[in-house]
Amino acid sequence: MNVMITGAAGGLGRAMANECASRGYNLFLTDINEDGLTCLKQGLERQFSVTVTTMACDLTNTESVDKMLDVIDKHGIRFDMLLNVAGMDYEGEFMGHEREKLVKIVLLNNAATLRITHAIIKRRRPGKKFTIVFVSSLASMFPMPLKATYAASKRFLLDFATSLRQELKRQDVNVLTLCPGGMVTTPGAINGIKAQGFWGDATTNPLEGVVRNTIDRALSGKRLYVPGMLNRILSFLGKIIPSTWVAKVIYWRWKEVSHNGSAS
Amino acid sequence: MKTVVITGASSGIGLETARLLARLGYNVLGIGRSEANCNKAKELILSENTNAKVEYFLADLMQQREVNRVSEKINAYLNERCNGELHALINNAGCVRSWYMTTYEGYEQQFALNHLAGFLLTYKLLPALKKAQGRVIMTGSDSHKGIKVHWNDVMLRHRYNPLTAYKQSKLCNLLFAKGLNDRFASDGIRAYVVDPGLVNTDIGNKDTGFLVNLIWKIRKKHGVSPDVPAKTYAYLCEVKDVPDGLYFYLCKEKNYSKEVTKENADRLFELSERLCDIQYGKVGMT
Repeated sequence: MNVMITGAAGGLGRAMANECASRGYNLFLTDINEDGLTCLKQGLERQFSVTVTTMACDLTNTESVDKMLDVIDKHGIRFDMLLNVAGMDYEGEFMGHEREKLVKIVLLNNAATLRITHAIIKRRRPGKKFTIVFVSSLASMFPMPLKATYAASKRFLLDFATSLRQELKRQDVNVLTLCPGGMVTTPGAINGIKAQGFWGDATTNPLEGVVRNTIDRALSGKRLYVPGMLNRILSFLGKIIPSTWVAKVIYWRWKEVSHNGSAS
Repeated sequence: MKTVVITGASSGIGLETARLLARLGYNVLGIGRSEANCNKAKELILSENTNAKVEYFLADLMQQREVNRVSEKINAYLNERCNGELHALINNAGCVRSWYMTTYEGYEQQFALNHLAGFLLTYKLLPALKKAQGRVIMTGSDSHKGIKVHWNDVMLRHRYNPLTAYKQSKLCNLLFAKGLNDRFASDGIRAYVVDPGLVNTDIGNKDTGFLVNLIWKIRKKHGVSPDVPAKTYAYLCEVKDVPDGLYFYLCKEKNYSKEVTKENADRLFELSERLCDIQYGKVGMT
């Protein structure tokens, strides 16, 4: 099994890579952080007997992606699975950020994800089942003031994935969307969770469990994975409560948390 | 003048041990993660004795490339000013994590810092330790008892539990010390593990979540001041007739887990060598 992981050098990407390598899958890892890829490749190859190929790539840059695809084609690499992990966020008020920073969120989370998905489906292993995972977020279930661009970009992925799944169903492709709550993927994430006190711990999904279940469910043909009972309840509430109310509550709550966070 | 390297030396047990050894006339080389804390620690030690010999090096030892980088700096320092001799290495840096988190290599962070960092740093400093017939001292814990190494899943990816990860990493400290003695006692190197007891430090409040934070805040109040365990480290650095024991509490030998066997130590050496891409049998050959 050949698996492509984008954003592989980040916290979630590393956990996904570990999980796949422990199952004996061969990996093609990409990330904008070349050093991170080199370290991860070493770590994986020392632990597991799998082939790990890495290539640094800026997915928002067409030339950079074309270069990577050339390498893939030159070596005749064909894939059985694509894990779209690469993504970014700048938290805070929309008008509090530089214009181009905000646009970058959509360029990576959406435009670049479409680019790589199209390219890798074209390079699926012929005659074999193909699996795609989109990493969306619990944030895709609600309008989220103070994470407005991010939440909307994750909603894009959720809806896009559902449609793509239908289109590709007859071609032996499964598409799964992962919508996790908070996960401890970066040192910064810990501070965010700490700032939320008890609720931070309660809505945090254990990374190692999420990645294992994600791969299991994607391979068994599931459509959506929202980890954690509390998060499933929250996402259900997001469907029945008017979105203007949800926006109000979330705005009030995040304002509080970001205030606590900056105070501590 | 004897030289000692102490990791995690900018706060808690490491800082108190650095202060004590500096007072006893050691040349202290501390390693810490935060520049501000390292500067503060250095100032504190110099304020107690303006003639103290103390230097701090910055490194996030959880990441292997940082261990490699800082060990090169320290080796250069030792060769330049200390005749290439290191009398003691105190592998004290440690952490607690509420959740499964990984290093750049994708290694679980408690295993990576509490065990692998010391394993790799000791390897890098082994020639200097051999030259001085030095001692390697690990910060252990009585929590190493009542657990086995999860050989099939040392990173605990299957079911992560902060306490299990901590206990296992502390058992690894004892296995590492035993493995070092088995291999290098004939070169005059001795390895020990200190049980500091329950100590009032911030280990459980750094980068942890709500629950671990809360538990540790309550628990550490019952702990002793970090200058208490510091005396045991100083004793193991100073004592002339090297004691045969492995595990020390309040300057006295203590019983340790039955899991600390030659077989397990060899197994941990083999695994850790693979995870660090080094071979202890080939020290100094490159």
